[in-house]
Amino acid sequence: MSNAPKTLYTRLSALQWVGLILAILIAGLGFILGIVQKVVLQELIFYTAATFALVIWTWNAYVAPHAKFGAEDSGDGPSGFALARAFVYRHRILIIALLVILGIFLIASATVTGFFNWLNIVTFLVLCALLVFTVQVSQLFVDNRSAFIGLMVLITMFTVGSIFIEGFSSGQNIKSMLLFAAFLGLACVGQTLVALLGGLDLSIPFVIGASNVFLLYLIGLGMYSWVAILIVLLLGALIGWLNGMLSYRLQGQALILTLGIGFAVSGLTQIVTSIGSAFAGNVFGVVPSWLKNLAAMNGTTIGLSIPPVILIWAVVAIVLVYGMKNTVYGRYLYALGGNRTSAARLSISERRYWVIAYMVSGTVAALTGVLLLGWSGGGFIGVGQPYLFMTLAAVVMGGTSLLGGQGGYGFTVIGVLVLQVLTSFLVGMGLKFEWQQFIFGLLILPMVALYARSPHIRTQI
Amino acid sequence: MNEGSSTAPASASSSTYMLVPILLLFLLLIIAVLRSPNLISPAGIGSAVIVLTPLALATYALMALAIAGRGTVDLSIGPLMGFINVTLVVLSGMGALESPVSFFLYAIAVGVAYQLLMALIIVYVRVQPIIVALSGYLALSGINLVILPRPGGTAPEWMSSWGLGTTLDSPILVILVLSTAAWLVFTSTAFYGHLRLMGSDERAAYTSGVRITIVRLGAHCIAGVFAALAALTYTALIGSGDPTQGTTYTLIAVTALVLGGTSLAGGRGGVIGSLLGAVNLFLIGYVLATFSFGAVQGFVTDLAYGLILVLSLLLTVAIPWLQRRITNISPTIIFIVLSTLFAGVILHAKFDYSLPAPPAAVSDAAAPPPAVPDAVAATGFFFEEVNASHDASSTLAQPIALSLLLAIALLIVARAMVLQTRQRRFSPRMVYILISLLILAAYLAWDNSHMPPSLAVTPVSPPVPAAPAPVEAATPVDAPAEVPADAASQPEATPPAKEGT
Repeated sequence: MSNAPKTLYTRLSALQWVGLILAILIAGLGFILGIVQKVVLQELIFYTAATFALVIWTWNAYVAPHAKFGAEDSGDGPSGFALARAFVYRHRILIIALLVILGIFLIASATVTGFFNWLNIVTFLVLCALLVFTVQVSQLFVDNRSAFIGLMVLITMFTVGSIFIEGFSSGQNIKSMLLFAAFLGLACVGQTLVALLGGLDLSIPFVIGASNVFLLYLIGLGMYSWVAILIVLLLGALIGWLNGMLSYRLQGQALILTLGIGFAVSGLTQIVTSIGSAFAGNVFGVVPSWLKNLAAMNGTTIGLSIPPVILIWAVVAIVLVYGMKNTVYGRYLYALGGNRTSAARLSISERRYWVIAYMVSGTVAALTGVLLLGWSGGGFIGVGQPYLFMTLAAVVMGGTSLLGGQGGYGFTVIGVLVLQVLTSFLVGMGLKFEWQQFIFGLLILPMVALYARSPHIRTQI
Repeated sequence: MNEGSSTAPASASSSTYMLVPILLLFLLLIIAVLRSPNLISPAGIGSAVIVLTPLALATYALMALAIAGRGTVDLSIGPLMGFINVTLVVLSGMGALESPVSFFLYAIAVGVAYQLLMALIIVYVRVQPIIVALSGYLALSGINLVILPRPGGTAPEWMSSWGLGTTLDSPILVILVLSTAAWLVFTSTAFYGHLRLMGSDERAAYTSGVRITIVRLGAHCIAGVFAALAALTYTALIGSGDPTQGTTYTLIAVTALVLGGTSLAGGRGGVIGSLLGAVNLFLIGYVLATFSFGAVQGFVTDLAYGLILVLSLLLTVAIPWLQRRITNISPTIIFIVLSTLFAGVILHAKFDYSLPAPPAAVSDAAAPPPAVPDAVAATGFFFEEVNASHDASSTLAQPIALSLLLAIALLIVARAMVLQTRQRRFSPRMVYILISLLILAAYLAWDNSHMPPSLAVTPVSPPVPAAPAPVEAATPVDAPAEVPADAASQPEATPPAKEGT
């Protein structure tokens, strides 16, 4: 083990090289696509630089530091047959996966006429290559394998989508994917923080719906829109505070408690907004145009044709990712999630962190509701319903453990993007909502099984 | 649970957590009866049973899983019910399934197969149960919409006729009673003890040689059967296929589970508590429906569900405190006391004071206030009237005699209960009393559903539930008779559970 530091160094730099090549490839691909689609050159350069920086940063932040300088192979190889068997055993997952893909491909080619064309062959080869790459490289990781696998799934789906669906990689489609991802991502902020502590917040969709309706109600009363938004955000924080206090008191019941609070909040909002109205449950009002611009598909940020909500999400993501790593609050949050007893020994007030996490969750959920109002232009209490289990799915897919202490918002971003790209891929394939849901359901399990398996009971004694 | 039995005296009840649902139940029942006396009539109870059975059975399924521990909350219970419902309707529409036997076999096979699959994933892939449930939720609610894009189809006739809810003795009630009884019988097996041990401390169970894999698979099988029965009764209730009810049922069943005092952390819970939770939830909706909120009705229901859920959760915090303070009060006794009070309320709500007899009778009986909503006062009051041998009052003789019998039975039960607290096993005497009470209740329910026509010969009115005095006065008795009978069987069933640990 005397030469361990050296191996570590060489492996790491090799990994960084891989990351660099990956970034150049992705950015170059984007650049070529942009030229083909005749995007304005300044914007094209901006996007390419952004993509490049993002890939490099993600790689270095998530992948490289967690690389494992794998166990050295013992050199004394026995006979060739045993060696081959050991090889097969070591790569059994990869071999099984490749065989499955090959089998599906062969069966499909044999049964479906016209399946055996160059497009499908290319897709097949790309899938195989990505699979080999993913499995091989992911063996180098101890932690954060999920982030890497998530990224790879993202790239795979994007590639397959671009091959199969016309206009999948067009700027317009990417923009719309990012727009919806931004809503989902914002809704997931609170869920991630709370999950890091080992809790759950199912009141998010109800708070989204309630703030959506209530804001329009306040605007309809003739209030300045920014005052109304402030009030709504404060109410969101208040709900979060209530959630936090109660679920701290009732350890382990967070799921059901937040659900109850959610019911109550959405009921109460609708009662309040229905008072003195002939149309119960319907709120009328005019959404201010700046709010519309904030979240609309054709919104612009200082001249750039990107909907501001995407930038808001990006800012929130950067602040969270940076903050969770570098601030006292973030570190203590991980400490509490990891082991609350030892955190208590460090005199970290568990209640305070718990409540703050829930307050952030409530506030951001309210913000999401506000932005969704800008997007849709009309209040609707059920606007948050799709997020009920979607936030959980995104958090879990990204790799944040629901037991607390592991993961982070960066992972959730990957989870959100995977879900979103998958959605638009399925939509592009002409599948309806119910099929999407079905496939999501089936996908969550293997994703989680890849990294979040709990140890066997006999190891816990 | 162990702390309770080791530190406190032997008479301390391990089911103190049942106090909250019981108190809530009677509070709601009293309000419901005062607001709408029609609830206590064969038709009222019959339709209530029809509506709440799917919910109760779904709650049982959740309960069996929650006891198994690891924070198992099967969010997919609603979509699973929906899946069975939808496939049943579609298959019977195609003519593949016809007879009741095949219906039951199919539903139970699907329910058990799904739950077994889930258990295998939990045990061997070792993913958190909540994630497996979430994944199942999404997949099943998706596939439900694929199978049946919008609500439609019809259940076979024999099944729809179950869901009419005009009488008490519907097959649905039989299903509910049988599943409850089956669980109660199950609690006396060693398997149940292993299940609870595993739920409260899986490591301890493993080290003491419990085969936790088998136990977990078994718990899921039981939940699968309950889910299948819930789906069947649900199909009978709506008489068609509905792929979209999944979310609602999941959320409501989880709420009922928590209202019933089952611990989501595992190891604690029971079929009686879950039944109470489901009944409470049904009653909340029922009570709210009696107030007319106009267009905001649904919102008020949401608000009330949410608030009551949170409040009852908060009350569970007080349980350890209660257990320390109240060592000698068993929930059963509370139940009996409250049901007597409730019987008085029913008599008050049902009795038409404007009928001829009262004024004279009051002066005879010298009861201080004329309209005391209390069981004792009411009973004495009627008894005087029977002695006066009024013509119309002869119809009251049977109810009065029955309620007296009942009161005596209750006294015996209460006495036996007090004795029971010293013992660890269910004494044979208790079993006899319970069985005789159940038979009495069954007799009353059966008799009552056939009584109105014979009664209707003498009085003026037809035998509809909404009929005036005599018929009405005859009906209430079956309700008190029913409630205490359950009362006796319910919380008492939990103490033997202590042996398991």
